[in-house]
Amino acid sequence: MQIAKRIYLYRDLFRVFVWREFTIRYRQSIIGVLWAIIQPLSMMVLFTFIFSYVLKLKVADYPHTVFFYSGLLPWIFFSSSLNYSIPSLTNHYDLITKIYFPREILPLSGISVAFIDYIIASLIFALILLIYKIHITWNVLWLIPLFALLLFFTIAVSLLLSSVNVYYRDVKLATGFLIQAWFFASPVMYSIDQLNIKFKMILFLNPLTFIIENMRRCVLEGRSIVLWQFAFVGVIITIFYFLSYKFFIKTERDFADVI
Amino acid sequence: MLSDAMVELKNVWKKYSIRDIFHRSLREDIAGIFRGNKDDLKEGEFWALKNINISLGRGECVGLYGPNGSGKTTILKLISSVTYPTKGKVTVKGRVAPLIAVGAGFHPDLTGRENIYMNGTIIGMTLKEIRERMDEIIEFSELEKFIDMSVKKYSSGMYLKLGFSIAIHSSAEILLIDEILAVSDESFQRKCIKKVKDIRSNKTMVIVSHNRALIEQIVDRIIFLEEGEIENLSHVINK
Repeated sequence: MQIAKRIYLYRDLFRVFVWREFTIRYRQSIIGVLWAIIQPLSMMVLFTFIFSYVLKLKVADYPHTVFFYSGLLPWIFFSSSLNYSIPSLTNHYDLITKIYFPREILPLSGISVAFIDYIIASLIFALILLIYKIHITWNVLWLIPLFALLLFFTIAVSLLLSSVNVYYRDVKLATGFLIQAWFFASPVMYSIDQLNIKFKMILFLNPLTFIIENMRRCVLEGRSIVLWQFAFVGVIITIFYFLSYKFFIKTERDFADVI
Repeated sequence: MLSDAMVELKNVWKKYSIRDIFHRSLREDIAGIFRGNKDDLKEGEFWALKNINISLGRGECVGLYGPNGSGKTTILKLISSVTYPTKGKVTVKGRVAPLIAVGAGFHPDLTGRENIYMNGTIIGMTLKEIRERMDEIIEFSELEKFIDMSVKKYSSGMYLKLGFSIAIHSSAEILLIDEILAVSDESFQRKCIKKVKDIRSNKTMVIVSHNRALIEQIVDRIIFLEEGEIENLSHVINK
């Protein structure tokens, strides 16, 4: 784990960056950290309204609210991580051209802030589960390895895109579109259960499909995951993670010259 | 050369391109990977540094002097590993605090005190060191009254004062100082120069300035740079 070693030497800087991102975001705002909860909650209400009253569709066997919220949690972690990390290197132009530190600290501090939000929003999720009296089993613990997959996948995508963005700003310009398209390609407001096998295979090309579907399954349905699928996705994500980190390290040397 | 050199640049060449990456074609870039000769200059490229040899021992204090674009800042960037040489070797022993930009990383929404933590860690101090030196830093900056105010309300002079105070209290063995002695009012500038003189005995320092009279007061020798080349090595100052 090269990344851990590099960051360990600069751990204080990393801590300060995370603290700064977190405090600045909510400074001069009235409700402050409540914003972390408002985003998933309002999306949940919107989706529930549209699917239950406008389209009158039944997307799941359990209440729509919990269904949507459970998908929104990992999704919002992923999308806000990308929103933070992709422009993080170019935003800190002044630092990158003047001072050395492991550059991955910048995208990673964005991801850390998204992680704090994720934890806060998860506490609300626990409350929602209590209100709806969802039966929780030990399988809920699968959330932890699933989240680890999500985290590594998010880091890999962030490192790759943020470094390419140093060279070609097209990445930043494409971020909004990319995230929107990715949202529809991920089972946040639908479940892949009703789809035929062909579509399922296509959607499983997106690692988030496996992660979000299974996070829902082990919390709401109390079921376990399919081990070989988990191992398969795990291997793919690990390979992707190492390749993108290697790419980041390789391009990092030129950041100050091309940014 | 000296084996106990803290900083050593050996036959260092650095190539830069005038053109932005956007104006190069991808094909050109890819072709460059395979048959690019480092010695050749392609269109729009120039040598920012040509065959630079510098060796600095412990406790040595050197001034870099030369017109704009002569490669002074590039040398500082190479020493602090912000950028890497096209050819040649840069060896650095010990921690480098690049005081290249006073107040780099200051965030307007944070208070002066919070920015001390921010800026201090950026230039390589640990949180523990910052806490220990917090009072000293604030006292040196003469900003006691404004330290808990967000720095967006600071004047540019206050910015510089705070930045310099943090920088000068760094514990790194090697200090790189770029034009920052041009701090605000004269009395504070005198104080800064005095401070630099006080701490120079156990640090290796590289100071860049356009103000020759000013660096001559501080440094042991001046390296003159002209268009990326060292003009007259080791101009020793007689004190």
